[in-house]
Amino acid sequence: MNKKFKKHLGYYISLLIILLLGLSLIFLVTPNLMLQIMIALLTICFYILWGAIHHLINHELTLRIMVEYVLIGLLGASIIFFMIMGGII
Amino acid sequence: MSLVKTNFPSVLGVSSNVSTQELMILTNEKRQESGLGPLTIDDRLSQAAAGKASDMFSKDYWAHDAPDGTTPWDFIKGAGYNYIYAGENLARGFNSAQDVVNAWMASPEHRQNMLSSNYQNVGFAVATGKLSGEDTVLVVEMLGSTNLAGAPIAKEPAKSVAVAIVSQPPGASSESVASPTPIAQLVISPTPLVPQASPISNPKGLVIGAVSKVTPLINSQTFSSISAKIVLSLFIFVLILDMTVIERKKIVRFVGHNLDHVFFFSLMFLIIIILVRGSVI
Repeated sequence: MNKKFKKHLGYYISLLIILLLGLSLIFLVTPNLMLQIMIALLTICFYILWGAIHHLINHELTLRIMVEYVLIGLLGASIIFFMIMGGII
Repeated sequence: MSLVKTNFPSVLGVSSNVSTQELMILTNEKRQESGLGPLTIDDRLSQAAAGKASDMFSKDYWAHDAPDGTTPWDFIKGAGYNYIYAGENLARGFNSAQDVVNAWMASPEHRQNMLSSNYQNVGFAVATGKLSGEDTVLVVEMLGSTNLAGAPIAKEPAKSVAVAIVSQPPGASSESVASPTPIAQLVISPTPLVPQASPISNPKGLVIGAVSKVTPLINSQTFSSISAKIVLSLFIFVLILDMTVIERKKIVRFVGHNLDHVFFFSLMFLIIIILVRGSVI
């Protein structure tokens, strides 16, 4: 796994930058809740896009992989909507 | 979840652990730590705070100024409090008075309001209702002073862009301040309600809509937050476990995205922590 991790280190760094940028923006726009939710959803979209581009560059992109990223992204979005339904936001 | 909240409000709903008395005590503790005198509860400011909270729910906004241009000062003046100095702090989505005061103290503008020597009186309102279609708990703090005793020379009206506002109305009179009144407990409902008789222990207290208030068994905010954290932790755990097993048993896998998803779910976990912190303006 270490070998694989080192091979894809650049990709992981770019992913971390995307995710940390999203998190920082969410923190910065507090207390604008609508903007926070929009940034969170945008970050999820970028995550899916990152997954697709990553696998496209490595010639591994298949429909199954795409579905996996989309489902994980939808799970993340559903958790945010679950929080909204609970009145937490 | 909304189905349960609608049909069984006594089981699942938004409840508040924020008490106005605790807010008062904590605010004065912070002032005493800074060498300032304590604030006294003024019923008129409490009434203004209650009016502001009710207005935010009825007009569905979360701001110092209402969409129709109504300012916090209109509520204060409307309650009969002729101020020289006035300020307003707002908070939403907090579960305890301690969290509210901590959040205000962490924000320079709100801290300045709480620790200002310009103010002598304070009024609080804690209200539960629907804002943008979602259940939430609002906390309104109105600060004021009706005379210049112990306060620095009045400056120009300072309604700055900062979220916590301090303002001096043009032509405000400097009439003497009313004597401090006992702590008023305010419980507000967003729907129009008939003021009820105050509790015996609090003869000047104002209780609005306390009769119709249902305290749910489970606080939906806490329930949502804990459930989401459990689900995310479970996913992170399973993905890490899967990664470890694959590595240890040398199982060949064409592609594995566990690490990507662990990063992603960790981000979601942090987003939830940020979102449940509540917000102050």
